[in-house]
Amino acid sequence: MQPLLHIQNLSKTFGNERVLADVNLHLAQHKVLSLLGSSGSGKTTLLKIIAGLEQPSSGEIFLNETEISQQPPQNRNIVYLYQEALLFPHFNVYENIAFGLRLKKQSNQAIKEKVQQMLHYLDIEKHAEKMPNQLSGGQKQRVSFGRAMVVEPKLLLLDEPFGALDSNTRQKMQSLFIKLVEQLKISALFVTHDLKEAIIMGDSIGKIQKGKLIQYESKQAFFEDETSGVKNEVDFWKGIK
Amino acid sequence: MRKKVLQYLFMLSIGFPLAFLLLLSLGRRWSFPSVFPQELSFVNWELLHQSDDRLFQTFFLSMAISLVVSLMVTSLAFVVSKEIAYSKYRNTFLFLAYIPYLLSPVILAVIFQYFFIISNLTGTFLGVVIAQFLIAFPFGVLIYVNFWNKQIKELENLSYTLGGNRWQTFRKVLLPLSKNAIVLCFFQVFLISWFEYGLTNLIGVGKIKTLTVSVFNFINEANIFYAALASCLLVIPPMMLLYINKRFIFIKR
Repeated sequence: MQPLLHIQNLSKTFGNERVLADVNLHLAQHKVLSLLGSSGSGKTTLLKIIAGLEQPSSGEIFLNETEISQQPPQNRNIVYLYQEALLFPHFNVYENIAFGLRLKKQSNQAIKEKVQQMLHYLDIEKHAEKMPNQLSGGQKQRVSFGRAMVVEPKLLLLDEPFGALDSNTRQKMQSLFIKLVEQLKISALFVTHDLKEAIIMGDSIGKIQKGKLIQYESKQAFFEDETSGVKNEVDFWKGIK
Repeated sequence: MRKKVLQYLFMLSIGFPLAFLLLLSLGRRWSFPSVFPQELSFVNWELLHQSDDRLFQTFFLSMAISLVVSLMVTSLAFVVSKEIAYSKYRNTFLFLAYIPYLLSPVILAVIFQYFFIISNLTGTFLGVVIAQFLIAFPFGVLIYVNFWNKQIKELENLSYTLGGNRWQTFRKVLLPLSKNAIVLCFFQVFLISWFEYGLTNLIGVGKIKTLTVSVFNFINEANIFYAALASCLLVIPPMMLLYINKRFIFIKR
Protein backbone atom coordinates (compact mmCIF):
# COMPACT_ATOMS: atom_id res chain seq x y z
CA MET A 1 0.00 0.00 0.00
CA GLN A 2 1.31 3.45 -0.97
CA PRO A 3 1.99 5.82 1.96
CA LEU A 4 -0.03 9.03 2.28
CA LEU A 5 3.15 11.08 2.67
CA HIS A 6 6.46 10.15 1.13
CA ILE A 7 9.54 12.34 1.35
CA GLN A 8 12.66 11.57 -0.68
CA ASN A 9 16.14 12.99 -0.10
CA LEU A 10 14.90 16.30 1.21
CA SER A 11 17.56 18.87 2.12
CA LYS A 12 17.44 22.47 3.21
CA THR A 13 20.22 24.99 3.64
CA PHE A 14 20.07 28.54 4.96
CA GLY A 15 23.20 30.27 3.67
CA ASN A 16 26.06 27.96 4.59
CA GLU A 17 24.08 26.13 7.26
CA ARG A 18 22.57 22.78 6.33
CA VAL A 19 19.40 22.42 8.40
CA LEU A 20 18.05 19.21 6.82
CA ALA A 21 20.19 16.58 5.16
CA ASP A 22 18.74 13.92 2.85
CA VAL A 23 15.59 13.36 4.87
CA ASN A 24 13.50 10.32 3.90
CA LEU A 25 10.14 9.75 5.52
CA HIS A 26 6.88 7.88 4.92
CA LEU A 27 3.55 8.05 6.69
CA ALA A 28 0.62 5.71 6.16
CA GLN A 29 -2.98 6.93 5.89
CA HIS A 30 -4.79 7.51 9.24
CA LYS A 31 -1.58 7.09 11.22
CA VAL A 32 0.36 9.45 13.47
CA LEU A 33 4.13 9.67 13.27
CA SER A 34 5.80 11.25 16.30
CA LEU A 35 8.95 13.19 15.47
CA LEU A 36 11.33 13.64 18.36
CA GLY A 37 13.94 16.32 18.27
CA SER A 38 15.60 18.95 20.39
CA SER A 39 15.57 22.69 19.67
CA GLY A 40 17.39 23.56 16.46
CA SER A 41 17.31 19.98 15.16
CA GLY A 42 15.42 21.04 12.03
CA LYS A 43 12.00 19.60 12.90
CA THR A 44 10.09 22.87 12.51
CA THR A 45 11.81 23.53 9.17
CA LEU A 46 10.78 20.06 8.00
CA LEU A 47 7.13 20.70 8.92
CA LYS A 48 7.15 24.11 7.25
CA ILE A 49 8.55 22.60 4.05
CA ILE A 50 5.85 19.93 4.05
CA ALA A 51 3.20 22.63 4.61
CA GLY A 52 4.62 24.75 1.77
CA LEU A 53 5.69 27.64 4.01
CA GLU A 54 9.36 27.06 3.18
CA GLN A 55 10.93 25.81 -0.02
CA PRO A 56 13.29 22.80 0.08
CA SER A 57 16.79 23.18 -1.36
CA SER A 58 16.45 19.73 -2.92
CA GLY A 59 14.33 16.59 -2.65
CA GLU A 60 10.76 15.60 -3.35
CA ILE A 61 7.54 15.43 -1.36
CA PHE A 62 4.71 13.16 -2.46
CA LEU A 63 1.21 13.35 -1.03
CA ASN A 64 -1.00 10.52 -2.26
CA GLU A 65 1.65 9.89 -4.95
CA THR A 66 1.44 13.48 -6.24
CA GLU A 67 4.58 15.58 -6.12
CA ILE A 68 3.63 18.72 -4.15
CA SER A 69 6.88 20.52 -3.37
CA GLN A 70 6.13 23.28 -5.89
CA GLN A 71 2.49 23.72 -4.89
CA PRO A 72 1.50 26.78 -2.83
CA PRO A 73 0.35 25.98 0.74
CA GLN A 74 -3.31 26.78 0.02
CA ASN A 75 -3.47 24.00 -2.59
CA ARG A 76 -1.90 21.25 -0.48
CA ASN A 77 -4.71 20.63 2.04
CA ILE A 78 -2.09 20.25 4.76
CA VAL A 79 -2.69 22.22 7.95
CA TYR A 80 0.22 23.31 10.09
CA LEU A 81 -0.46 23.91 13.79
CA TYR A 82 1.93 26.02 15.84
CA GLN A 83 2.90 25.64 19.47
CA GLU A 84 0.65 28.59 20.25
CA ALA A 85 -3.05 28.26 19.46
CA LEU A 86 -2.87 31.36 17.20
CA LEU A 87 -6.59 32.05 17.20
CA PHE A 88 -7.70 34.97 15.08
CA PRO A 89 -8.23 37.67 17.73
CA HIS A 90 -11.01 39.41 15.78
CA PHE A 91 -13.20 36.28 15.52
CA ASN A 92 -15.10 34.45 18.24
CA VAL A 93 -14.73 30.69 18.78
CA TYR A 94 -17.45 29.80 16.25
CA GLU A 95 -15.95 31.99 13.53
CA ASN A 96 -12.42 30.77 14.26
CA ILE A 97 -13.52 27.19 13.65
CA ALA A 98 -15.59 28.22 10.63
CA PHE A 99 -12.65 30.14 9.11
CA GLY A 100 -11.35 27.42 6.77
CA LEU A 101 -14.86 26.48 5.64
CA ARG A 102 -15.63 30.10 4.78
CA LEU A 103 -12.42 30.24 2.71
CA LYS A 104 -13.73 27.26 0.77
CA LYS A 105 -17.02 29.15 0.30
CA GLN A 106 -19.18 26.42 1.75
CA SER A 107 -22.86 27.18 2.37
CA ASN A 108 -23.87 28.70 5.70
CA GLN A 109 -25.94 25.62 6.50
CA ALA A 110 -23.00 23.26 5.87
CA ILE A 111 -20.71 25.49 7.91
CA LYS A 112 -23.18 25.57 10.79
CA GLU A 113 -23.53 21.79 10.86
CA LYS A 114 -19.79 21.13 10.70
CA VAL A 115 -18.86 23.75 13.27
CA GLN A 116 -21.57 22.58 15.70
CA GLN A 117 -20.33 19.02 15.33
CA MET A 118 -16.74 20.09 15.94
CA LEU A 119 -17.75 22.16 18.99
CA HIS A 120 -19.46 19.03 20.30
CA TYR A 121 -16.42 16.81 19.65
CA LEU A 122 -14.21 19.29 21.48
CA ASP A 123 -16.71 19.85 24.29
CA ILE A 124 -16.62 23.64 23.91
CA GLU A 125 -20.20 24.26 22.75
CA LYS A 126 -20.86 26.70 25.59
CA HIS A 127 -17.85 28.81 24.59
CA ALA A 128 -18.92 29.29 20.95
CA GLU A 129 -19.64 33.00 21.31
CA LYS A 130 -16.55 33.82 23.37
CA MET A 131 -13.63 35.79 22.00
CA PRO A 132 -10.12 34.25 22.18
CA ASN A 133 -9.03 36.50 25.06
CA GLN A 134 -11.81 34.98 27.19
CA LEU A 135 -10.46 31.42 26.88
CA SER A 136 -7.93 29.43 28.88
CA GLY A 137 -4.82 27.97 27.24
CA GLY A 138 -6.39 24.52 26.92
CA GLN A 139 -9.61 25.91 25.47
CA LYS A 140 -7.65 27.93 22.92
CA GLN A 141 -5.76 24.83 21.86
CA ARG A 142 -9.06 22.93 21.45
CA VAL A 143 -10.39 25.67 19.18
CA SER A 144 -7.15 25.59 17.23
CA PHE A 145 -7.57 21.82 16.72
CA GLY A 146 -11.18 22.26 15.71
CA ARG A 147 -10.30 24.97 13.19
CA ALA A 148 -7.70 22.67 11.62
CA MET A 149 -9.73 19.46 11.61
CA VAL A 150 -13.02 20.90 10.41
CA VAL A 151 -11.51 21.45 6.94
CA GLU A 152 -10.69 17.72 6.80
CA PRO A 153 -7.03 18.10 5.83
CA LYS A 154 -5.21 15.22 4.20
CA LEU A 155 -2.43 15.72 6.70
CA LEU A 156 -2.12 17.55 9.98
CA LEU A 157 1.27 18.90 11.07
CA LEU A 158 1.57 19.61 14.78
CA ASP A 159 4.60 21.52 15.99
CA GLU A 160 4.81 20.90 19.75
CA PRO A 161 1.14 21.85 20.14
CA PHE A 162 1.04 21.21 23.89
CA GLY A 163 4.40 22.77 24.68
CA ALA A 164 2.89 25.90 26.24
CA LEU A 165 0.34 24.05 28.43
CA ASP A 166 0.62 23.00 32.07
CA SER A 167 1.06 19.27 32.72
CA ASN A 168 -2.56 18.64 33.70
CA THR A 169 -4.02 20.38 30.66
CA ARG A 170 -1.36 18.75 28.52
CA GLN A 171 -2.51 15.26 29.59
CA LYS A 172 -6.13 16.12 28.85
CA MET A 173 -5.21 17.44 25.43
CA GLN A 174 -3.17 14.35 24.64
CA SER A 175 -6.19 12.14 25.46
CA LEU A 176 -8.47 14.40 23.40
CA PHE A 177 -6.11 14.27 20.43
CA ILE A 178 -5.91 10.45 20.54
CA LYS A 179 -9.72 10.30 20.65
CA LEU A 180 -10.08 12.70 17.71
CA VAL A 181 -7.50 10.83 15.65
CA GLU A 182 -9.61 7.69 15.97
CA GLN A 183 -12.95 9.39 15.43
CA LEU A 184 -11.95 11.55 12.49
CA LYS A 185 -9.33 9.21 10.98
CA ILE A 186 -6.59 11.82 10.99
CA SER A 187 -3.13 11.41 9.51
CA ALA A 188 -0.58 13.52 11.35
CA LEU A 189 3.04 14.33 11.97
CA PHE A 190 3.40 15.18 15.65
CA VAL A 191 6.59 16.99 16.58
CA THR A 192 7.68 17.01 20.20
CA HIS A 193 10.84 17.07 22.27
CA ASP A 194 9.13 15.06 25.04
CA LEU A 195 9.97 11.34 24.88
CA LYS A 196 6.87 10.21 26.77
CA GLU A 197 4.58 12.34 24.61
CA ALA A 198 6.17 10.97 21.45
CA ILE A 199 5.47 7.39 22.59
CA ILE A 200 1.88 8.17 23.67
CA MET A 201 0.86 10.11 20.59
CA GLY A 202 2.50 8.26 17.72
CA ASP A 203 1.71 5.00 15.96
CA SER A 204 5.35 5.12 14.95
CA ILE A 205 8.32 7.23 15.91
CA GLY A 206 11.05 9.13 14.14
CA LYS A 207 13.99 11.01 15.55
CA ILE A 208 15.53 14.08 14.01
CA GLN A 209 18.98 15.15 15.07
CA LYS A 210 21.13 17.84 13.46
CA GLY A 211 19.00 17.69 10.33
CA LYS A 212 19.16 13.91 9.89
CA LEU A 213 16.05 11.81 10.36
CA ILE A 214 15.83 8.22 11.55
CA GLN A 215 12.42 6.64 11.16
CA TYR A 216 11.95 3.48 13.21
CA GLU A 217 10.08 0.54 11.70
CA SER A 218 8.19 -0.03 14.94
CA LYS A 219 7.94 1.37 18.45
CA GLN A 220 9.82 -1.72 19.65
CA ALA A 221 12.73 -0.84 17.36
CA PHE A 222 12.74 2.63 18.90
CA PHE A 223 12.73 1.26 22.45
CA GLU A 224 15.65 -1.02 21.63
CA ASP A 225 17.77 1.73 20.09
CA GLU A 226 20.43 2.69 22.65
CA THR A 227 20.46 6.28 21.40
CA SER A 228 16.67 6.79 21.64
CA GLY A 229 16.89 7.72 25.32
CA VAL A 230 14.17 5.21 26.33
CA LYS A 231 16.58 2.95 28.18
CA ASN A 232 17.98 5.90 30.18
CA GLU A 233 14.46 6.95 31.09
CA VAL A 234 13.51 3.43 32.24
CA ASP A 235 16.71 3.14 34.27
CA PHE A 236 16.03 6.47 35.90
CA TRP A 237 12.55 5.45 37.12
CA LYS A 238 13.82 2.03 38.21
CA GLY A 239 16.58 3.80 40.17
CA ILE A 240 13.99 5.81 42.12
CA LYS A 241 12.37 2.58 43.38
CA MET B 1 -8.87 72.00 43.94
CA ARG B 2 -5.37 72.08 42.47
CA LYS B 3 -6.32 69.27 40.12
CA LYS B 4 -9.41 71.17 38.94
CA VAL B 5 -7.42 74.36 38.35
CA LEU B 6 -4.89 72.43 36.28
CA GLN B 7 -7.71 70.80 34.29
CA TYR B 8 -9.29 74.18 33.55
CA LEU B 9 -5.92 75.64 32.61
CA PHE B 10 -5.37 72.76 30.21
CA MET B 11 -8.80 73.22 28.64
CA LEU B 12 -8.23 76.98 28.41
CA SER B 13 -4.84 76.49 26.71
CA ILE B 14 -6.56 74.47 23.99
CA GLY B 15 -9.84 76.36 23.82
CA PHE B 16 -8.57 79.94 23.93
CA PRO B 17 -6.55 79.95 20.66
CA LEU B 18 -9.50 78.35 18.84
CA ALA B 19 -12.02 80.78 20.32
CA PHE B 20 -9.73 83.74 19.56
CA LEU B 21 -9.25 82.57 15.96
CA LEU B 22 -13.03 82.39 15.56
CA LEU B 23 -13.38 85.86 17.04
CA LEU B 24 -10.73 87.29 14.73
CA SER B 25 -12.36 85.65 11.71
CA LEU B 26 -15.51 87.65 12.54
CA GLY B 27 -13.59 90.92 12.98
CA ARG B 28 -13.54 93.89 10.61
CA ARG B 29 -11.52 96.57 12.36
CA TRP B 30 -8.99 96.15 15.13
CA SER B 31 -6.73 98.94 16.13
CA PHE B 32 -4.59 99.61 19.18
CA PRO B 33 -5.38 99.81 22.13
CA SER B 34 -8.63 97.75 21.71
CA VAL B 35 -8.41 94.27 23.22
CA PHE B 36 -10.95 92.87 20.74
CA PRO B 37 -11.91 93.86 17.17
CA GLN B 38 -14.15 96.90 17.15
CA GLU B 39 -16.56 95.44 14.63
CA LEU B 40 -17.79 91.86 14.45
CA SER B 41 -19.77 90.46 11.52
CA PHE B 42 -20.20 87.39 9.33
CA VAL B 43 -19.05 89.23 6.20
CA ASN B 44 -15.77 87.25 5.95
CA TRP B 45 -17.60 83.93 6.37
CA GLU B 46 -20.34 84.94 3.92
CA LEU B 47 -17.68 85.25 1.22
CA LEU B 48 -17.20 81.50 1.47
CA HIS B 49 -20.75 80.96 0.17
CA GLN B 50 -19.73 82.42 -3.15
CA SER B 51 -18.61 79.49 -5.28
CA ASP B 52 -15.90 81.57 -6.98
CA ASP B 53 -14.32 82.54 -3.67
CA ARG B 54 -10.57 81.91 -3.66
CA LEU B 55 -10.46 80.62 -0.09
CA PHE B 56 -13.34 78.24 -0.69
CA GLN B 57 -11.56 76.75 -3.70
CA THR B 58 -8.29 76.59 -1.77
CA PHE B 59 -9.99 74.58 0.96
CA PHE B 60 -11.15 71.92 -1.49
CA LEU B 61 -7.80 71.91 -3.32
CA SER B 62 -6.00 71.32 -0.01
CA MET B 63 -8.49 68.62 0.89
CA ALA B 64 -7.97 66.90 -2.48
CA ILE B 65 -4.15 67.02 -2.16
CA SER B 66 -4.18 65.70 1.42
CA LEU B 67 -6.67 62.94 0.65
CA VAL B 68 -4.75 61.75 -2.43
CA VAL B 69 -1.41 61.82 -0.56
CA SER B 70 -2.91 60.03 2.47
CA LEU B 71 -4.54 57.33 0.36
CA MET B 72 -1.38 56.77 -1.71
CA VAL B 73 0.91 56.59 1.33
CA THR B 74 -1.51 54.47 3.40
CA SER B 75 -1.89 51.84 0.69
CA LEU B 76 1.65 51.77 -0.72
CA ALA B 77 3.42 51.94 2.65
CA PHE B 78 1.31 48.97 3.80
CA VAL B 79 2.76 46.78 1.04
CA VAL B 80 6.32 48.13 1.17
CA SER B 81 6.57 48.05 4.98
CA LYS B 82 5.71 44.34 4.92
CA GLU B 83 8.59 43.60 2.56
CA ILE B 84 10.93 45.71 4.71
CA ALA B 85 9.78 44.21 8.02
CA TYR B 86 10.47 40.64 6.87
CA SER B 87 13.64 41.50 4.95
CA LYS B 88 17.03 40.51 6.29
CA TYR B 89 18.10 44.11 5.56
CA ARG B 90 15.28 45.48 7.74
CA ASN B 91 17.54 47.70 9.88
CA THR B 92 19.26 49.21 6.83
CA PHE B 93 15.91 50.08 5.23
CA LEU B 94 14.63 51.58 8.47
CA PHE B 95 17.78 53.69 8.79
CA LEU B 96 17.15 54.98 5.25
CA ALA B 97 13.51 55.70 6.12
CA TYR B 98 14.64 58.09 8.86
CA ILE B 99 16.87 60.13 6.52
CA PRO B 100 14.06 62.42 5.21
CA TYR B 101 13.46 63.47 8.82
CA LEU B 102 17.08 64.50 9.28
CA LEU B 103 16.55 67.04 6.49
CA SER B 104 13.66 69.49 6.70
CA PRO B 105 10.98 69.30 3.95
CA VAL B 106 12.20 72.65 2.57
CA ILE B 107 15.73 71.27 2.05
CA LEU B 108 14.23 68.22 0.36
CA ALA B 109 12.16 70.54 -1.83
CA VAL B 110 15.31 72.37 -2.90
CA ILE B 111 16.87 69.00 -3.80
CA PHE B 112 13.75 67.88 -5.68
CA GLN B 113 13.09 71.20 -7.37
CA TYR B 114 15.48 70.74 -10.29
CA PHE B 115 13.93 67.41 -11.22
CA PHE B 116 10.42 68.81 -10.85
CA ILE B 117 11.29 71.75 -13.13
CA ILE B 118 12.72 69.58 -15.93
CA SER B 119 9.74 67.24 -15.72
CA ASN B 120 7.29 70.19 -15.78
CA LEU B 121 5.81 69.22 -12.44
CA THR B 122 6.36 72.49 -10.59
CA GLY B 123 3.19 74.48 -10.09
CA THR B 124 0.96 71.48 -10.76
CA PHE B 125 -1.41 69.46 -8.58
CA LEU B 126 0.46 66.27 -9.49
CA GLY B 127 3.82 67.85 -8.64
CA VAL B 128 2.68 68.88 -5.14
CA VAL B 129 1.12 65.45 -4.57
CA ILE B 130 4.34 63.68 -5.61
CA ALA B 131 6.52 66.01 -3.50
CA GLN B 132 4.35 65.51 -0.40
CA PHE B 133 4.21 61.77 -1.07
CA LEU B 134 8.01 61.63 -1.10
CA ILE B 135 8.30 63.13 2.39
CA ALA B 136 5.31 61.31 3.91
CA PHE B 137 5.98 57.84 2.47
CA PRO B 138 8.91 56.92 4.79
CA PHE B 139 6.79 58.09 7.71
CA GLY B 140 4.02 55.69 6.63
CA VAL B 141 6.55 52.85 6.44
CA LEU B 142 7.76 53.64 9.96
CA ILE B 143 4.18 53.60 11.30
CA TYR B 144 3.44 50.18 9.76
CA VAL B 145 6.73 48.40 10.27
CA ASN B 146 6.09 47.28 13.85
CA PHE B 147 2.71 45.86 12.88
CA TRP B 148 4.46 43.16 10.83
CA ASN B 149 5.68 40.93 13.62
CA LYS B 150 6.21 37.19 14.03
CA GLN B 151 2.65 36.55 15.19
CA ILE B 152 1.10 38.33 12.19
CA LYS B 153 3.36 36.30 9.90
CA GLU B 154 2.24 33.07 11.57
CA LEU B 155 -1.44 34.04 11.37
CA GLU B 156 -0.96 34.80 7.69
CA ASN B 157 0.74 31.44 7.11
CA LEU B 158 -2.00 29.68 9.05
CA SER B 159 -4.59 31.22 6.77
CA TYR B 160 -2.68 29.90 3.73
CA THR B 161 -2.50 26.35 5.11
CA LEU B 162 -6.23 26.50 5.89
CA GLY B 163 -6.80 27.12 2.17
CA GLY B 164 -6.80 30.92 1.92
CA ASN B 165 -5.38 32.61 -1.16
CA ARG B 166 -3.56 35.97 -0.96
CA TRP B 167 -6.70 38.08 -1.40
CA GLN B 168 -8.73 36.08 1.15
CA THR B 169 -5.88 36.24 3.64
CA PHE B 170 -5.57 39.99 3.15
CA ARG B 171 -9.32 40.62 3.48
CA LYS B 172 -10.10 38.24 6.34
CA VAL B 173 -6.90 38.34 8.38
CA LEU B 174 -4.46 41.15 7.58
CA LEU B 175 -6.95 43.94 6.97
CA PRO B 176 -8.98 43.49 10.19
CA LEU B 177 -5.83 43.06 12.26
CA SER B 178 -4.13 46.11 10.77
CA LYS B 179 -7.19 48.39 10.96
CA ASN B 180 -5.78 50.56 13.75
CA ALA B 181 -2.38 50.88 12.04
CA ILE B 182 -4.08 51.82 8.75
CA VAL B 183 -6.25 54.46 10.44
CA LEU B 184 -3.26 55.84 12.35
CA CYS B 185 -1.19 56.04 9.16
CA PHE B 186 -3.99 57.75 7.23
CA PHE B 187 -4.59 60.36 9.98
CA GLN B 188 -0.90 61.10 10.53
CA VAL B 189 -0.12 61.44 6.83
CA PHE B 190 -3.21 63.57 6.29
CA LEU B 191 -2.00 65.94 9.00
CA ILE B 192 1.54 66.06 7.57
CA SER B 193 0.14 66.91 4.15
CA TRP B 194 -2.52 69.31 5.44
CA PHE B 195 -0.10 71.48 7.42
CA GLU B 196 2.84 71.20 4.98
CA TYR B 197 4.08 74.66 3.99
CA GLY B 198 7.72 74.97 2.83
CA LEU B 199 7.84 72.14 0.31
CA THR B 200 4.34 72.89 -1.03
CA ASN B 201 5.22 76.56 -1.47
CA LEU B 202 8.45 75.76 -3.36
CA ILE B 203 7.04 73.06 -5.64
CA GLY B 204 3.67 74.81 -6.03
CA VAL B 205 5.48 78.05 -7.08
CA GLY B 206 2.43 80.13 -6.16
CA LYS B 207 0.18 78.32 -8.64
CA ILE B 208 -0.91 75.61 -6.22
CA LYS B 209 -2.02 77.38 -3.09
CA THR B 210 -3.03 75.16 -0.23
CA LEU B 211 -4.85 76.52 2.81
CA THR B 212 -1.65 76.47 4.88
CA VAL B 213 0.20 78.43 2.19
CA SER B 214 -2.73 80.88 2.06
CA VAL B 215 -2.61 81.47 5.82
CA PHE B 216 1.06 82.45 5.55
CA ASN B 217 0.29 84.68 2.57
CA PHE B 218 -2.50 86.47 4.45
CA ILE B 219 -0.19 86.98 7.43
CA ASN B 220 2.49 88.41 5.14
CA GLU B 221 -0.14 90.76 3.67
CA ALA B 222 -1.12 91.75 7.28
CA ASN B 223 -4.68 90.58 6.49
CA ILE B 224 -5.19 89.23 9.96
CA PHE B 225 -8.98 88.68 9.68
CA TYR B 226 -8.68 86.63 6.50
CA ALA B 227 -5.71 84.74 8.02
CA ALA B 228 -7.93 83.90 11.00
CA LEU B 229 -10.74 82.77 8.70
CA ALA B 230 -8.34 80.56 6.74
CA SER B 231 -6.96 79.19 10.02
CA CYS B 232 -10.49 78.32 11.14
CA LEU B 233 -10.95 76.35 7.91
CA LEU B 234 -7.52 74.83 8.46
CA VAL B 235 -8.40 73.36 11.86
CA ILE B 236 -11.81 71.94 10.82
CA PRO B 237 -10.56 68.72 9.07
CA PRO B 238 -8.04 67.80 11.82
CA MET B 239 -10.74 68.35 14.43
CA MET B 240 -13.15 66.18 12.47
CA LEU B 241 -10.49 63.48 12.18
CA LEU B 242 -9.87 63.67 15.90
CA TYR B 243 -13.60 63.33 16.57
CA ILE B 244 -14.01 60.37 14.19
CA ASN B 245 -10.92 58.80 15.70
CA LYS B 246 -12.20 59.10 19.25
CA ARG B 247 -15.87 58.45 18.59
CA PHE B 248 -15.83 55.58 16.14
CA ILE B 249 -12.46 53.87 16.06
CA PHE B 250 -10.43 53.73 19.24
CA ILE B 251 -13.48 53.74 21.52
CA LYS B 252 -14.25 50.18 20.33
CA ARG B 253 -10.98 48.79 21.64
